Amino acid sequence: MSNFLLRKAEPKDVSDILRLIKELAKFEKMEEQVILTEKELLEDGFGDHPFYHCVVAEVPEDKQSSDGYTVIGFAMYYFTYDPWIGKLLYLEDFYVMKEFRGSGIGSDILKVLSETAVKTRCSSMHFIVAEWNKPSIEFYKRRGASDLSDEEGWRLYAIEKNDLLKISAK
Amino acid sequence: MNFKVRAARKEDCKDISRMIMELAVYEKMPDQVKISHEELERDGFSPNPFYECLIAEVPDEHKTKDGYTIVGYVLYFYTYSTWKGRSVYMEDLYVMPDFRGKGIGKGLMAKVAQVGVEKQCVRLQLSVLDWNKPSLDFYVAKGAEDLTAKEGWHFLRFDGQSLDTLAKEAPKD
Repeated sequence: MSNFLLRKAEPKDVSDILRLIKELAKFEKMEEQVILTEKELLEDGFGDHPFYHCVVAEVPEDKQSSDGYTVIGFAMYYFTYDPWIGKLLYLEDFYVMKEFRGSGIGSDILKVLSETAVKTRCSSMHFIVAEWNKPSIEFYKRRGASDLSDEEGWRLYAIEKNDLLKISAK
Repeated sequence: MNFKVRAARKEDCKDISRMIMELAVYEKMPDQVKISHEELERDGFSPNPFYECLIAEVPDEHKTKDGYTIVGYVLYFYTYSTWKGRSVYMEDLYVMPDFRGKGIGKGLMAKVAQVGVEKQCVRLQLSVLDWNKPSLDFYVAKGAEDLTAKEGWHFLRFDGQSLDTLAKEAPKD
């Protein structure tokens, strides 16, 4: 019998989702970069044009975390497009609270997302991982993931807002 | 040379498909192109599009030797950063070799940047192959930062067999 439940996130979950986002950012050593608010998460995920989809992992009350939470993991994803193969499922964030790891929650989240990808006609599930994050890289490689940065030489670039404004000016 | 940047229409998908293949050849991966203009039409021009596309068009008197007036395109979509919110991802940017050096690439990218700013996106992301020096120079000149070098990000993928295997093991409701 399973001690956790995986379900689609609802508007009431945004505060837990933001809490978990910040915990993951802290683990990635970039906590100060989280400027997203609950209000934006609500509008962007549950408004007319959702920018993301989210799955949460919940435990029963009697199994709550040491600081009293029952929502103890999440995965955020959205659909992207590859002009060579079509629709893709992009995994943006994926996190299970430390005290709940090792019981198959992360593994089941990944399987549910893979099933979603297949059902929605996505050829592939893509995501990024920091190269120093060995436990995560091993988790994914054990399950058959390939590293496109190593194999094909792809590098991620970003242009921030102030430069975007310069580029867009006539 | 005069050129016009405009939103792609469904009937432009054959030209877009042609240029997607040209770009794939340049990136040394033509055998990886699996979809045709039909999928592009279905996925970009339905009530729930999965991408947006702008094309660059030249007047008839400047058409290519094969008779094309559509000489460049940019394909992009919206993504979401859990740290900063809405972002725009530029998936493909391409101008036919004979039409480069005339500001068309810059024009296409400026329009995507403008769309991104209008939609309140906090940044534009893209990926480039590490050997593609002309493109790397073009983007860095516009303020692009290499996050793979700076923060160690690598692209990973589950596809084909590995994706199917995971999907089959998903817990039932």
